[in-house]
Amino acid sequence: MNIATYDISSMVNKDLLQGEVRDDLTVMVAGQGGDGSLTIIALLSRALLNRGYQIYRTSNIASRIKGGHAAAFMRASVVSRNTVGDAIDILVAFDTEAVQKASAKLAPNSVVIFDSSRESLPPGLVPATALTIPVPFSRLAVRDLRRDLFKNSLGFGLMGRIIGLHDEEVESGLRNHFRKLSSAQFEPNIRALHEGHAFADSAGISGENSILTMPSVENKQERMFISGNHAAAMGFMAAGGRFFAGYPITPATDVMNFLVRHLPEAGGVVMQAEDELAAVNLAIGASLTGVRAMTASSGPGIALMQESIGHCGSAEIPLVIIDCQRAGPSTGMPTKPEQSDINMLTRGGNGDYPHVVLAPGDPEECFYGGVLATSLAYRAQIPVIMALDAVCHDNFTVPHFDLDRVSIDEGKKVTEADLAQMDQYRRYEITEDGISPWAVPGSRAGMNLVTGNERDEWGRVTTVPEMRVRMVKKRSRKIETIRPHLPKGVEWGDSTAPVGIIGVGILGGVIAEAVERLEKQGHQFHCHRPRTLWPVLQDTIDFINSHERVYVVEQSEGAQLAGLLKSEGAQAEKIVSILRYDGLQYTAGEMVEVILEKEQQA
Amino acid sequence: MTRTYQTGHPIWCAGCGHFGVQGAILHAMKQTGVELHETLVLAGIGCSGTVQNNIGAYGYHSMHGRVLPTAIGASLANPELTVIASGGDGDGYAIGGGHLMHGLKRNPNLLYVVMNNGIYGLTKGQDSPTKEVPIASPDEDPLDVMMLGLSIQSTTFLARAITTRSDQLNELMVQGLNHAREGKGMAFIEVLSPCVTYNDTYPQWMNKVYDLDGDPEYRNDDRGKAFFDMYQLIQQDRIPIGLVFHGEHASLQSSLLSDLTPHQSLDEQYAARSRQHMKDVLSAYAV
Repeated sequence: MNIATYDISSMVNKDLLQGEVRDDLTVMVAGQGGDGSLTIIALLSRALLNRGYQIYRTSNIASRIKGGHAAAFMRASVVSRNTVGDAIDILVAFDTEAVQKASAKLAPNSVVIFDSSRESLPPGLVPATALTIPVPFSRLAVRDLRRDLFKNSLGFGLMGRIIGLHDEEVESGLRNHFRKLSSAQFEPNIRALHEGHAFADSAGISGENSILTMPSVENKQERMFISGNHAAAMGFMAAGGRFFAGYPITPATDVMNFLVRHLPEAGGVVMQAEDELAAVNLAIGASLTGVRAMTASSGPGIALMQESIGHCGSAEIPLVIIDCQRAGPSTGMPTKPEQSDINMLTRGGNGDYPHVVLAPGDPEECFYGGVLATSLAYRAQIPVIMALDAVCHDNFTVPHFDLDRVSIDEGKKVTEADLAQMDQYRRYEITEDGISPWAVPGSRAGMNLVTGNERDEWGRVTTVPEMRVRMVKKRSRKIETIRPHLPKGVEWGDSTAPVGIIGVGILGGVIAEAVERLEKQGHQFHCHRPRTLWPVLQDTIDFINSHERVYVVEQSEGAQLAGLLKSEGAQAEKIVSILRYDGLQYTAGEMVEVILEKEQQA
Repeated sequence: MTRTYQTGHPIWCAGCGHFGVQGAILHAMKQTGVELHETLVLAGIGCSGTVQNNIGAYGYHSMHGRVLPTAIGASLANPELTVIASGGDGDGYAIGGGHLMHGLKRNPNLLYVVMNNGIYGLTKGQDSPTKEVPIASPDEDPLDVMMLGLSIQSTTFLARAITTRSDQLNELMVQGLNHAREGKGMAFIEVLSPCVTYNDTYPQWMNKVYDLDGDPEYRNDDRGKAFFDMYQLIQQDRIPIGLVFHGEHASLQSSLLSDLTPHQSLDEQYAARSRQHMKDVLSAYAV
């Protein structure tokens, strides 16, 4: 190593090495796809998780494998947050484009680490008060370690020093992260880390003289760091889910990837289908036999599955469906989040059929929501959809999932012993609660016909008007039967405030942070986050109708949530929509601004 | 005895080939000794999509074109079931055509019977992919799915029959059902089953069929030779019938299923093991 060539000891003003204590830090690492921005953020997240921080991690990548601008973000905070901070505190930029993209968001006292291997930073992109550290990452990595990719470990070494982590914890984090690499790959990463430390030494940045300090947070609670996709898939598994079929699609593929890894070991089956039509029907076939089944997709794939979802509602076949919503219509922006499948999920498909749509707000709710979705589907013999938004791919710190809170609901499944006691068995028996006893293939004396045509109690196709009406009403009653089990909205803020705010999914946490700040400025709001999108629950309607005006914040141009609530009894004149559909998530600061702006117009 | 649904009466026109197919399915079930409650008969949409009502087993009426994926899902979820998928040529080769090649490629343990009449009967006579001279586009040649099946290297049982030769049809159906039940993979049988109302092909087809089973030169265990001979026959405007191909290949079930694969419910022992597995999975995310 020959760090002296790049001596920058004069570059960092000693006055800056005060180790300023932070309890809320947003870091962005960006460059071209394949630069490894995600790796640095993953390593940093892990280190700060170990120090007890709550981490929110997200990425902003183009839909391509290598190349295209890619950025990874991490926010470490003492209080749990669902979005990045208003400003970027530390930027690691592998190219000029990364600085350009981050420029407007850089905090006045931010630290900008810039890869100076190929170019120098054009003036004016970084605030005058910010500290810029040019580092020839790429050149150092190629010169000393023979591969550009090792610049990540080098960057991580420097980053550890900047935020005041001990060298030992940084190194053990790196060793753990790369433990599965071959030694030919592993050793250069360790050397790169040391080179990062050496570079920091030359700049005078050391454990005692760091730029920032992130002191350890007392955190006795057992926690998990997980994405919504993984959590929802786990919930399905925990509730007895044993069959999954899917077709690759961003951002839902991770559900399949997770289950391929873990479901077979639990005796389950995962199939990658030839298309979404096959995926959903493979799952339907499994479900017909009584095995708990699920499929997952994103908007375009769910659109293809619509006929099948309605078929499950009609034929009374349980099915769990995850929709990882992304910016539409059509192919839209595959890697950008949105909440614009609400119309399709609540109203899609031909005909009237019973179904449920849940909207979890964080990975914890994705897990228990996955359990609930599976239980509801099998109790009521209906399709249950989990509508995820950016919560699907973002990683959050959440309380450890409690398996003791999970029980497996067998619903109205009948055994051979039950059947032997019956005079007759009718698959579509008309019952008070709308749910018929269910004998699955293989059960002696339970033979039955399952069909998506209208049918009589025996499953024989019919168009007799009276039977048609009785069957439609029977299916509809199932929703009333399970209504008490559907999660109501979560409310917080000042319940006496005349103005309300509504948002679903990931927006709940953003609204919460915004309202905290608004309260400090003397503005009071009452907030409500619906957790069941379909059927629309009365508490959401009551919330709107009992306030003077309600801001409905959503990520769709068509105000789909507001439209849904209006059609289900919310007073239209009370709703003021706040819409975002540029593919980006709100920060709390942006949310504060837009709410204050709307308040001035009110 | 618990009373279950009363088997239906066929809805087909007098003279429809489908009667013979239904008879052959019932014959094969009887011959193999499979019980009704162990059997799931799935059917697509169309005239043929009513056969499940008339068997007495567990019946499922799939969505149009989706009978194969549904049957595969069921056969994986409960490998002890005998799974018989059926449907028409429109259902299986047009709207469901994409699933056919993947079904053949996967070689799941099930019997798939297609009743081919070259026509959409239920919607009153539109061209199907096997129509010899389509009305809308007369220059299109009909699809020959036996050739498709031969070209996919993992197929293990391909046969074609015609309803007018019921002995051969019955025999092939028995062989096909045994093939599936013995875990050898997918038995695919196309039955030429004329529609007397919209596409009465009885006279042409009876003249054109060529019985491979009666040809001592034909080798149904040699994919390459079978393909060549079939091609020659098609060039001569003949329709080969009989056991087209018979081979060995691992079934879908053999690679995907473990001894833990669930059948009907999650019994206690199973739940306990599953719980331990869940704990292990969760621990990987703990911080």
